[in-house]
Amino acid sequence: MKWLADKSKQLEKLFEKGKPLEKFYPLFEALDTFLLTPGQTTKKAPHVRDSVDIKRVMIFVVVALIPCIIMGIYNTGRQILLAKGLPLECGAAMFEGALKVLPIIIVTYAVGGMWEGLFSTIRKHEINEGFLVTGILFALTLPPTTPLWQVAVGISFGVVIGKEIFGGTGFNVLNPALTARAFIFFAYPVQMSGDMVWVAVDGFSQATPLGIVATAERGTTAVAALQSAGFTLKDMFVGFIPGSIGETSTIACLLGLGFLLITGVASWRIIAGCFLGLGAMSFVFSLFKGPDSLVFFSLPAHWHMVMGGFAFGSIFMATDPVSSAATNPGRWIYGFLIGVLVVLIRMVNPAYPEGVMLAILFMNVFAPTIDHFVVETNVKRRMARATTAEIKS
Amino acid sequence: MSHFSIKKGKNLKIKGSVSYETVDLPLPKQVAVMPPNFKGLKSRLAVKVDDVVKVGSPVITDKSIEGLLVSSPVSGKVVAINRGAKRSLLEVVIETDNLQETISFLNSPSSDASSYSSDQIKKTMLESGLWAVLRQRPFSKIANPSDKPKSLFIHAMNTEPLAADIDYIMEDKDIEYQFGIDILKKLVGVNIHQCIDAQSKAKALKEAKNVETHTFSGPHPAGNIGTHIHCVDPIGKGDVVWFIEVQDVLRVAQLFQKGTYPVERTVAISGEGAKNRVYTKTIVGTPLSSLLQGSDLQNMRCISGSVLTGRNVGKNGYLGFYDSQVTIIPEGGSRKLLGWLVPGFNNYTFSRTYASAFTGKKDFSLDADKNGSDRAIVLNHLYDELNALDIMTYFLLKSVISEDIEESEKLGILECDEEDFALCTFACPSKIDVGGIIQSGLEIIEKEG
Repeated sequence: MKWLADKSKQLEKLFEKGKPLEKFYPLFEALDTFLLTPGQTTKKAPHVRDSVDIKRVMIFVVVALIPCIIMGIYNTGRQILLAKGLPLECGAAMFEGALKVLPIIIVTYAVGGMWEGLFSTIRKHEINEGFLVTGILFALTLPPTTPLWQVAVGISFGVVIGKEIFGGTGFNVLNPALTARAFIFFAYPVQMSGDMVWVAVDGFSQATPLGIVATAERGTTAVAALQSAGFTLKDMFVGFIPGSIGETSTIACLLGLGFLLITGVASWRIIAGCFLGLGAMSFVFSLFKGPDSLVFFSLPAHWHMVMGGFAFGSIFMATDPVSSAATNPGRWIYGFLIGVLVVLIRMVNPAYPEGVMLAILFMNVFAPTIDHFVVETNVKRRMARATTAEIKS
Repeated sequence: MSHFSIKKGKNLKIKGSVSYETVDLPLPKQVAVMPPNFKGLKSRLAVKVDDVVKVGSPVITDKSIEGLLVSSPVSGKVVAINRGAKRSLLEVVIETDNLQETISFLNSPSSDASSYSSDQIKKTMLESGLWAVLRQRPFSKIANPSDKPKSLFIHAMNTEPLAADIDYIMEDKDIEYQFGIDILKKLVGVNIHQCIDAQSKAKALKEAKNVETHTFSGPHPAGNIGTHIHCVDPIGKGDVVWFIEVQDVLRVAQLFQKGTYPVERTVAISGEGAKNRVYTKTIVGTPLSSLLQGSDLQNMRCISGSVLTGRNVGKNGYLGFYDSQVTIIPEGGSRKLLGWLVPGFNNYTFSRTYASAFTGKKDFSLDADKNGSDRAIVLNHLYDELNALDIMTYFLLKSVISEDIEESEKLGILECDEEDFALCTFACPSKIDVGGIIQSGLEIIEKEG
């Protein structure tokens, strides 16, 4: 490695202060530390440091997303083959899917990466590896038919408005990937919702399971409506349903979750809170189910969990440490309320059959408030403790 | 007596533990008095180069508090006064004359604590310079003699990585230790809390009288003085608590037994870079070179103290005033290919992002590599798992960064010290200097009074 380290040292001179390429130092740093560990040593105590750094953490999140990426590509292709009436060969499905999904991922990284690079050059801070996660998360939340120019506009909005205007990584209030997704959802509703967008075959109409339940006639049950449309619990769990690229496969999300929990990267409290909240709220609604109520009321919690983007959202989006609650009790409350809101929006909001994105964004906004109350309790507890100790002595 | 079981925190699995053997070292050729050892001390020189000093002669005095001084541990001649940035005093180096001529601070020393009055104890400790062993929280600076503390803590437990074993140091010290306690009790007149390891077997500690003994168990920072104060007698606004290292209680005893400034200290030589990892009997301010004879210190980091809280003094540096340990680790800093990708069987981490977390490996070779570059704070849930105090670290950090003093105080900054956050800094993947930021907040608060 000595040779490479020496080369890098030579090159670094070109990017030093006062040298022609000074402005591009963040770009150099990003590439340089990608190849070689920075090799900086501590100046003062603590003299030793943990081996983990943000690069490793963020790359681990991307690794956790690999099952979702693969399943997303496969399922996109599978839906195309189904729509065209072709035999369901694995290789063909992967090929068809890759043709649709890879351009979306590439455009996201290229355009978003350009903004990252631009801002870090102007602001003179290092390029944050968090973008690797934001980029892939955004791509995976899109319908496979999304026009590439909309992908570009969306990720630009997410990076610039969702993150950089707040001061960059660590200071954003909202999850940048979801901000981007919400932006194109509202800006281009025709390409982002309805029945025409989920299968990447021109003119092919196919509703998502959530869409079917939302539009089912009263009198039937949600499960019956889904089954008559050909959706089984197993298909939805595995992910063989139309939907956004990465969200359909619950099992892929769970594989990712397993990886995140083993490596300790994500906060399990938030995820547990989400699932609890969803379970609790759908139980409450199930008490009101009947022939006159909305069909959605009869959808059991475990069906909720495998439908739409719930698993994906609660595992990968809600857990973004920057935009979520930052206290342990706060994380429970934050997750729980996301679960509750998901069910509320899905069931009683007539406009959108899916509520995960809005639920998480809404709770992103409220996370600081939740934290505020938790912190206040801590302050009061410590003050009370200091005074009782005084009285005792 | 009460027991506290600390759940949060972690013990560092680091190579280089010390074997139970004590070596008596001869008097070193040179020693140094180092003002940076004393937080908040506004130092003024009491000597100049070529001055002749005795054991107990004042070397540095404090500009703001009358009577505070730090004295010479040897008799000899001042040979150098080393300054750092902005002419701040770094070291006063004294060459020993091997005579150890002493100044007598008491006319008739006695081993009976009741023969001393509180005022006499205070006066003797101040004059001899031994007062500096008494420190206070908040701010961890030398106690102000005109303050009335809420209580006094004896720091008789240490969970720092590779720390000196207090049980071993305190063997056969029961009489001396009890005398030290009795003197201190006379001096402060308030509760003395002795915080010890629940596993401790030291007779001196377990049978100590005139103190309230509290036992602690759990991982580091269960042995930090900050943790002890926080659990036993927390500091509210306006409170002051004093504390003293357990070895320094022995020095207090020696001062009043002999009437001269006591300088003896047992120091553990630890860390994989040290060749002879033993306990040494030496004196305060001794040069590391005399402790580390035979060790190859090329490309080594020489720390007075532990890897978490010690000072990087270099191979020509000196033992810190309060330290009972030196740690020598490799300097590190070589660049490795694709570090973010390797499985990492030898990469030590609290997280579970390297294979080492699953192999059950017991001790790791840790060097001074930062293992990453500075980034914005992202993973904020780590701090709470490593801080034994009931403090919301992330929010405290944010309040200090935004210079919101009122909020920092509400969040309990006055209960904290840099060292209480050493593990947070260690584990932070964004390489944020958590302790350093908290310290800067404390300094602002202290300055503004």
